[in-house]
Amino acid sequence: MSAQLLTLILVVVVALGFDFTNGFHDTGNSMATSIATGALKPKTAVALSAVLNLIGAFLSVEVAITVTNAVVNIQDSDGNPASSLTADHGSALLMIILAGLIGGILWNVGTWLLGLPSSSSHALFGGLIGATIAGIGWSGVNWTGDSTKLDGVLGKVVLPAVASPLIAAVVSMLGTWVIFRITRSLGEGLNGHGFRAGQIGSSSLMSLAHGTNDAQKTMGVITLALIGYGSWHDTTAIPLWVKVSCAASIALGTYLGGWRIIRTLGRGLVEIEPRQGMAAQGSAAAVILASSQLGLPLSTTHVATGAILGSGLGKPGATVRWGVARRMVAAWLITLPMAAGVGALTWYVGDLFGGGALGAVVMVALLVVLAGWMFLRSRREPINSDNVNDVWNATSTVVEPSEPVAA
Amino acid sequence: MFSLFLQDAWKILLYSLVLGAGLPIVYTLGIRSLALGHGGSSEPEGGREASRSTIGRVLAVICFTLVLAGVALGLLYVVAAGQGKELSFDHIYPTMVPKS
Repeated sequence: MSAQLLTLILVVVVALGFDFTNGFHDTGNSMATSIATGALKPKTAVALSAVLNLIGAFLSVEVAITVTNAVVNIQDSDGNPASSLTADHGSALLMIILAGLIGGILWNVGTWLLGLPSSSSHALFGGLIGATIAGIGWSGVNWTGDSTKLDGVLGKVVLPAVASPLIAAVVSMLGTWVIFRITRSLGEGLNGHGFRAGQIGSSSLMSLAHGTNDAQKTMGVITLALIGYGSWHDTTAIPLWVKVSCAASIALGTYLGGWRIIRTLGRGLVEIEPRQGMAAQGSAAAVILASSQLGLPLSTTHVATGAILGSGLGKPGATVRWGVARRMVAAWLITLPMAAGVGALTWYVGDLFGGGALGAVVMVALLVVLAGWMFLRSRREPINSDNVNDVWNATSTVVEPSEPVAA
Repeated sequence: MFSLFLQDAWKILLYSLVLGAGLPIVYTLGIRSLALGHGGSSEPEGGREASRSTIGRVLAVICFTLVLAGVALGLLYVVAAGQGKELSFDHIYPTMVPKS
């Protein structure tokens, strides 16, 4: 096996690993409210969400090969890798992609440990931006596009990130408020059981939308690596095995369930009743569908969190735990730069070891050690399907923030 | 860039209000209709299967049908977007057409 082939294999494995973290990081976006209100049993909820993510990933046949173009210039507009990076079976390109993916994974696992619902798309884009800056320089980043359309880091990442939670919160708040007005004279039974179907339906729609959106990104990144290496040449199609493995990996991650994040979203931010749950998931699903119809990529995490917050604001007399909300917003703000930092550092480490297969092996070893350490750390205060719904107690539920674990 | 973005954000807000707040509200009206016939106030102590007014039931069916239609439309959006197409309402009922 040649050194470049080994690097390519590592890129594919790490990319599938990222897809896996993307799955478990985002289960809460669609299922946290249904789990918190008891509309679905925790295990049933994650299983349902996993199946819908799997279906969603296959529903999407649109080619996502140009996914990285939104933020960096490592490929041409037709999808082929930039010619300056393709020498020697694209080893320069593979190093950037590998470092970027590792940055994204480490940030995802770190925020999961803290129970913070941060955006997986921001983590991936952040990692890629950092690795690109390290590998090519600042000019390699597509900051604003050519300003004739929404593009670049500003247009496709920063602006949507600011607007989407606000829009989702407003819609959800209005919906919740009106629903509580209509139902204020109804008894517990109808307000509880009556909304179960609505909750499950809206959560399911959200899971499906997630599968169509997020699995695509990893498929695009893997295909780009294959083209860079030279083992795939078609920029209008994604190899079937890439599609199958990405779909399986995001579904598996979803099924594992990021219980720490589900807990924060379902119990930590606001206390959720079935009526609020339906309003929140309905708004979130609508915002995501509307924006993908308009071609504006939104983070499902930002939308879901905004919607859940809005359902707390709209319910008369509800309390929102602003401390939890503040930590979340802080995590959103730093996700892109932090993932970029980790991605860049990872690239430098790989470069230190020659930038070839040895560098790639060291980078992956670093990933395994750090992710493994965070996993072990999480075992100290495990959160799983049994205790995910326990009463929220700010001091004992989430691992307190420790020093950033960036390499 | 900012004005382009505001145009899109405005549209998303509008669509989301209609679908994301509107449909849950219609669903709620359906639930509320089920409770009609009990003096319009609350469900009886005996449980939910007690007698319900016919008009309440009809209203509830209409509401739930509207919601189901809305969800079906949402699903169609997901499928169409996945196929690289968009929905057209030129024939009143939605059809999938290539993206313009």
